[in-house]
Amino acid sequence: MYLQIMEQIKQKVAVGDWQRGAEIPSIRQLAVALSVSVITVKRAYLELEREGVIVTHHGKGSFIATDPELSPRLYDEELAEHLEQAARLGTLLGLSSEEIADRLQEAFERASADRLTKEQL
Amino acid sequence: MNYPMVKILMLKDWYLQRWIILATFAGGLASLGIIAIGSDGAFFIGLLLLITALVALSGQLAMSAIVGERKEQTLPFVMSLPISYREYTTSKIVGNLLIFVVPWAVMAIGSFALLAFSPKSQGLIPYTAIMATEILVNACLVASVAVITEAQSWTIAAIILGNIGLNGIGYLVAHVNGVARWMWGSSIHWSPAAYALLITEFAIIGLMIGFTFFTQSRKKDFL
Amino acid sequence: MIAVHFEGVKKTYPHFALDDINFSLPAGCVMGFIGANGAGKSTTIRILMGLVHADGGTVRVLGHAMPAEQAAAKLDIGFVSEDMRLYPSATIAWHMEFIRSIYPQWDATYAESLLRRFDLKKEQKVKGLSHGQRVKAALLLALARKPKLLVLDEPTTGLDPVARREVLEEFMAVLADEERTILFSSHNTLDVEQISDQITFIDRGRIIDSNDKEIFLDRWRRLRLVLPADSELPSVPGVIEVGGSGRMPVLTTNRFEPAMVSAYRDKGATVQAVDNMTLEEIFVANVSSRRAGERA
Repeated sequence: MYLQIMEQIKQKVAVGDWQRGAEIPSIRQLAVALSVSVITVKRAYLELEREGVIVTHHGKGSFIATDPELSPRLYDEELAEHLEQAARLGTLLGLSSEEIADRLQEAFERASADRLTKEQL
Repeated sequence: MNYPMVKILMLKDWYLQRWIILATFAGGLASLGIIAIGSDGAFFIGLLLLITALVALSGQLAMSAIVGERKEQTLPFVMSLPISYREYTTSKIVGNLLIFVVPWAVMAIGSFALLAFSPKSQGLIPYTAIMATEILVNACLVASVAVITEAQSWTIAAIILGNIGLNGIGYLVAHVNGVARWMWGSSIHWSPAAYALLITEFAIIGLMIGFTFFTQSRKKDFL
Repeated sequence: MIAVHFEGVKKTYPHFALDDINFSLPAGCVMGFIGANGAGKSTTIRILMGLVHADGGTVRVLGHAMPAEQAAAKLDIGFVSEDMRLYPSATIAWHMEFIRSIYPQWDATYAESLLRRFDLKKEQKVKGLSHGQRVKAALLLALARKPKLLVLDEPTTGLDPVARREVLEEFMAVLADEERTILFSSHNTLDVEQISDQITFIDRGRIIDSNDKEIFLDRWRRLRLVLPADSELPSVPGVIEVGGSGRMPVLTTNRFEPAMVSAYRDKGATVQAVDNMTLEEIFVANVSSRRAGERA
């Protein structure tokens, strides 16, 4: 469950809901808001701090890290995860690495087409 | 002992039992009204009704307010309040007896007044005093049994035995030499025997209440 | 500050005995008691409240020795148990006024908001309430006093899912204050898993495990193996239960480390999956392995 909380927080940072340096709810406040045990939120915060996503100043609260590389870095991590998944699934399906690359190309072209359509609207 | 809490608990019981209490008071007043008619027949009927109302009150109060806590499963709620067995026991015994004592006192005084005003029956006053106190002893017995056992069966047994005992003692005392001799006279005579009986009755009340508190203090399971 | 402290507590009944109960609950935490029916959850809670006197051991609640100082302790404890009833002939409003007259910390505004939240009508008599409404009314009376310690025996049993969620949210709201503690027993492991910081398992009158919830969730795993033909299951320390069949055993461990996976691989088995376990699965496995151990 603490992993889900970590994911949620990373998402918020990635899309910009929570800016760098912004203060985030205390462990207890978040626990109450999510109706989740304090210890789970505490764990999530500890892990996030270890990954450099947030910093906790004792007595002052918790903040999103001011590392300017943060958003792109999070997106980068997510991309790496997705690629790994794609490789694994492709292998299970018996695809070769060229076939997997082709599928990636198709997906990329579809995404670009979508974006163009959205911009036109 | 937390007296404010005892008061709160007693008031709670009186509130919850208010209909029974009011009905009994109404019945008691009606009985007095019948007695006031003046004829001998009315006197006995009224007296009987009065005693019945009193005995019914003490029995019903014990069942609803004391045994009822266990039957209605409200005991955890009460015992979760900031009290110990002391406040609980006190509120039940004193609350029960206090409510009972008011109509009882009215009846006793009313009876004494009536007897005092009819010269030929004044000899009955000591006997009446002893019997009235006996009714109080009865009420105390029923309340104590209810608090200690918290069981319907035992309390009903106490009510029935108390009732039988009341009649039995009524007969016995009327034949005790020290009392019988002056009962039917026209003057009030307090013989040593009469005093002794009266004092014994109050002593029994004291013992019963003491025993109740003692037993409650030894209880290890309140639920 | 320790909110609840049990040391060496025992209680003997004709057909059941509570033995050697030890645990400590710090202030500001939530502890969930999980156990089967008759395991001893309610007895432990009653001893905590001073309603039952233990036969041995020490009990301290909010710094008070129980049951000697129970009146003082209960001033700061809110208690709701499954077998508790309110007075049927009285209204909810009467009960609220009754409690308000006893406890100075009664928060009338909060009480009104709880009435709305729990969808209760003040003027309704208790005897007309459904089971769920009754439980919510009792919880309202306990919560509106803002007690330092909430002791709840099966608080969500019998509640519909909507009511359960409302109730759990109110419990969590209690914890916004760092000094307030909750101890609750349930055989609904989902509720316990969601809001507890610490978990204690009780079975047959004994505490069989007590720890931080995250530690339980970290250390317990189910490993699905596939063994090569004609081979024995390799023994690796830490496995407490073996299930599955033949070449596809399912192992349960309560001391998982990644090294275990490599240990199995080294001995020729294929580790098909390493599954997390829910609190319910952990509890059941804990109990069954212990009972098997007792039989052996």
